[in-house]
Amino acid sequence: MIELDKVCFAYPAQGPTVQDLSFRIGDGEFVAILGANGAGKTTTVRLIDGLIKPTSGRVIIDGTDTASSRVSDRARRVGFLFQNPDRQICKNTVREEILFGLETVRGEEGAEALGHRADEVLQEFGFTGEEEPFSLSRGQRQRVALASILAVEPSVLILDEPTTGLDYRECCHIMDQIRTMNREKNVTVIMVCHDMEIVLDYASRALVMSGGRLLDDGPVPEIFRNSALMERASILPPQMIGLSLRLGRGFEDADTPESMADAILRRKKEG
Amino acid sequence: MNHVLQYIPGNSVIHRMNPVTKLLLTIIICVCAFMTDNLFFLLGLLAVDLMIGFVAGVAGRTLKIFRGLLMIAAFLFILQALLTRRGTPVFWIITDEGLMGAGRVVLRLIVVCMPLALVLAVTRISDLTNALVQHLHVPYQYAFTLATAIRFIPQFLEEMNGIMEAQTARGVAFDQARGLKKFSMILPLCAPLLISSVRRTDQTAVAAEVRGFRLRTRASAYRRYTFTALDAATFLFCALLLAGAILIR
Repeated sequence: MIELDKVCFAYPAQGPTVQDLSFRIGDGEFVAILGANGAGKTTTVRLIDGLIKPTSGRVIIDGTDTASSRVSDRARRVGFLFQNPDRQICKNTVREEILFGLETVRGEEGAEALGHRADEVLQEFGFTGEEEPFSLSRGQRQRVALASILAVEPSVLILDEPTTGLDYRECCHIMDQIRTMNREKNVTVIMVCHDMEIVLDYASRALVMSGGRLLDDGPVPEIFRNSALMERASILPPQMIGLSLRLGRGFEDADTPESMADAILRRKKEG
Repeated sequence: MNHVLQYIPGNSVIHRMNPVTKLLLTIIICVCAFMTDNLFFLLGLLAVDLMIGFVAGVAGRTLKIFRGLLMIAAFLFILQALLTRRGTPVFWIITDEGLMGAGRVVLRLIVVCMPLALVLAVTRISDLTNALVQHLHVPYQYAFTLATAIRFIPQFLEEMNGIMEAQTARGVAFDQARGLKKFSMILPLCAPLLISSVRRTDQTAVAAEVRGFRLRTRASAYRRYTFTALDAATFLFCALLLAGAILIR
């Protein structure tokens, strides 16, 4: 369980970046944080991991206040995938990279067990292990960074714009692996994302932010159907939802191409 | 993010000076610091450094630089005092000459470094580049290289902080280590920093190239950097400083 209680944060010599933020995220939830640039999304996820400490209020993860614990001690439970994978990668091969994360937080399990776990992850992600990370494409490097985080088996996964700069296929690759972890291993996922189609496809709950404040919190389709909220937060809803809103009555549940086709056929039958 | 080398906008007399004059003043202070061994003259130069910062309205930055240099200076002072054997012992193995020599070294370090950092705080890098090209006839390519190198320093620091943050989130105990241990943990991270730096440099080079970098000449700059009475007064001050350093060696 993650809980933010009246959290405020301001960078030195700047106005407040995040103000009066309060919400709870339960185990196994897939939450997207939405908002325009400068809304405070990245600051919020950095606060959740304790990379920055709130100026007031509390961030509590599994009963522990992040202000009184260290980020490195939390790495076993909380994984953070940054927008730029190159900041995370520091080894010469993919296998070494995955082992580096494992040795850092699960060193007590011994070399054999960690080697076995690294092999499992390599197979899961389709790497041989001998690839040089910095020679791979950006999407592949992002997958290496994700693999080294998921190898540790965290119970919370924070993703800061994980699909930026990736093509559609690479996006789906990464997001499918994250969804699998979420569904099969009950990993809590908190994702900052500008791609609303991805949010609609993968997240179940959305937190909408603007000017450092939380505007709304609810199920993703419901949030996207709130036109006034979308406008206030400067968010363009996914195409299907935008279309269904324009079509009006009878299309309320049409948020995918399939459900849109069904709704059209239904209307056709009705004459 | 506010870095030590970042430009602080302002309209002080120092801000209004010709960039070449500011650079000359900086160089003269450095030259004087190396020409003299007189502790009082070095203290006077330090006072000039501080005065420049205060007159420029960047007192906060000046004190920040001063504090940072003091920390390095303290380490150097101890090292120098312990390693000098000449002179009369005053305490344990520390001699009077050791103390005087250490004092000179650290004062010289502070006096030399402060104006170099301050000139960047009160001069836009682009103004410095253009003025160098316009008045000192430095080829634009070299001036641009210098400006880019300076501009990259805070970016590298930011990148390094980002890398350390990312590694801390992976469990590397940067938030627990101190001193040499922390330094030894940073060393392996030089690879990602180097790679990102090379990528960034390459991108900058390509971006400059596609914008016609090689076509730029001395006449391309639209801004003119003239010398005023203020600059003349500064030249006179520089001459006096230099004369003082020669006389009080």
